[in-house]
Amino acid sequence: MTLTERAPTAAPEPERSTPRWRRPVLVLGALLLAVPLAAMLDLVAGRALSIGETWQALTGGAADSTAHHLVWQVRLPRVLVALGAGAALGLAGLILQAALRNPLAAPEVTGVTPGAVLGAVAATGAGLADWASPAAVMLAAVGGGLGGAGLLWLLTGRRHADPAGIAVHGVLVSAALGGLTAVTLLAAPGEIGSVVQWMVGTTEARTWQHWTLLWPWALGWGVLACLTAGPLMLLRCGEDVAEAAGLAPARARGLALLCAVALTAGAVASVGALGFIGLVVPHAALALFGADLRVALPGAALAGAVAVCGADAAAQLMSRAVNAWGAEQLSVPVGAVTTFVGAGVLLVVARRHAVEP
Amino acid sequence: MSELIGDPESATTDSAADAPTPGPAAALDVDRVSFGYPGRRVLDRVSLRVRPGEFVALVGLNGCGKSTLLRLAAGVLRPESGRVSVDGADMARTSRREAARKVALLHQAAPAVPGLTVRQLVRQGRYAARGPLGMLRVGDDEVTVRAMRDVGVDAWADRPVDALSGGERQRVRLALALAQDTPVLLLDEPTTYLDLRHQLEVLQLVGRLRDERRLTVLMVLHDLDLAARFAERLVALRDGHVAAEGPPDSVVTPGLLREVFGIEGRVGRDPERGWPVCYPDRPLRLP
Repeated sequence: MTLTERAPTAAPEPERSTPRWRRPVLVLGALLLAVPLAAMLDLVAGRALSIGETWQALTGGAADSTAHHLVWQVRLPRVLVALGAGAALGLAGLILQAALRNPLAAPEVTGVTPGAVLGAVAATGAGLADWASPAAVMLAAVGGGLGGAGLLWLLTGRRHADPAGIAVHGVLVSAALGGLTAVTLLAAPGEIGSVVQWMVGTTEARTWQHWTLLWPWALGWGVLACLTAGPLMLLRCGEDVAEAAGLAPARARGLALLCAVALTAGAVASVGALGFIGLVVPHAALALFGADLRVALPGAALAGAVAVCGADAAAQLMSRAVNAWGAEQLSVPVGAVTTFVGAGVLLVVARRHAVEP
Repeated sequence: MSELIGDPESATTDSAADAPTPGPAAALDVDRVSFGYPGRRVLDRVSLRVRPGEFVALVGLNGCGKSTLLRLAAGVLRPESGRVSVDGADMARTSRREAARKVALLHQAAPAVPGLTVRQLVRQGRYAARGPLGMLRVGDDEVTVRAMRDVGVDAWADRPVDALSGGERQRVRLALALAQDTPVLLLDEPTTYLDLRHQLEVLQLVGRLRDERRLTVLMVLHDLDLAARFAERLVALRDGHVAAEGPPDSVVTPGLLREVFGIEGRVGRDPERGWPVCYPDRPLRLP
């Protein structure tokens, strides 16, 4: 028996290929619909206004000026910042996982998030930035994030091609930077309350200024990241395959990591160290869209936006419930929700991976 | 967005047979190439010429520099001295992308990528042929489909690669190399981890593709018998030198077994087809 006889040579019928792209497109469409839904939910979830009042204020109906201010100056920027930060974190996480070939690579464990936190905390501690001025905090966070990633880059030395080495060093760098943040906080306690909230991840008190700082940064790096889908996909296939196919892996990986660092730093600068989004959203995106990163990257951005916005809505609803129980001043930060839910999802992912060979 | 998602190949599968064929086969020239890692010389002034359309097997012990020579030939590594050229063009002056349009290299093993389908993996071979941003080019998908069809994996195009057996996966990886549509194909032990049946299948397939596509093939093989049977010419490496080369009939001798493989053995003939067959007896004590 020869190979040609045995090999399936039937040409694939043209009809068969339709479902191949239909599924990702449908999922993408569903996610696109989910974004305004999550945004609306987040918009009405706050405690001070009812749904009707919110809607009236939004449509410019006969609402009083307080409601108008609340919706337009407090809630809307909060929702937009949540969407933007979520998209940036989801995208950054998928880039890191693909470029480092590690399903556990995430902004939190590659020195980027801890670096950004340290940068912001140190800048406020030293009086260079103030929580009331987002621009300075953002600048410090971006600088810190780049610094954290740079430190990792220097530590891994000539082993940039080794994903396992990067992962191990990333955890070490992250731990060290986290320790430094704690030391800084102890040395200059200052506004420890808002700092701690921010370290958990919060969307409270975000202003239009946060949004105007976040969106051009996130959009620019996000578009660049999506354009590197081809090289990223090759990097995910491994160094040898990428090189043989004509990619210069070191350069491609450098560019991809730069995108991930910039996106993370931007997100962390605006909402703080939101846990688990960059780790869990990429898994969801790959499961929903398949391994084709040309679709999965924008998909991860959308999924991240929906996840953070939905988590923020959940956090606000929980705050309502907590307040009804009597704790008037307590508000649940969105980071608490993402961390709890994310840890649960990750547990499921880990178990599923453990079952597979 | 629709440009990224829309999959033009579905409409054009019929024209796969008209996909561009590589031009006339190219010659691969390795000229006095030396290469080493810090503290270890791997290749020392190795010369090797593969004529256009020729099928050459590279044999030798583990660590003798076979895989390194293949990487140098593909332009993935740069020689310390000497020159590697494809059809006269110096690979050291060729960009990675340009080199991948001339030479395809199939590594021994590739890590698994969760969820990646056969089609998605094979399409990665088109990277070098695409524009800088990696957007699809006309003809891209025909080449991908044709590569899958040539190795007989097109029926599984939309199945995940991890779900395939070892032999099937090896054919998919061969399709990935073919999708580069290069005149030169370099294979690093394409039969590793395969059972006898799949070893035969893969080598027969390479031979057939060589004939159909006029490929120039240089292949590292561990199995001397298979190398002698499928290759037109053998090149034996030992300690970074070419120890012997020529047609299998004249190269595979007890002397070769002794000097290159460090074993005492006898060499016979296949009673019907006449190719050399080795009967290894015992390893020699290393000097």
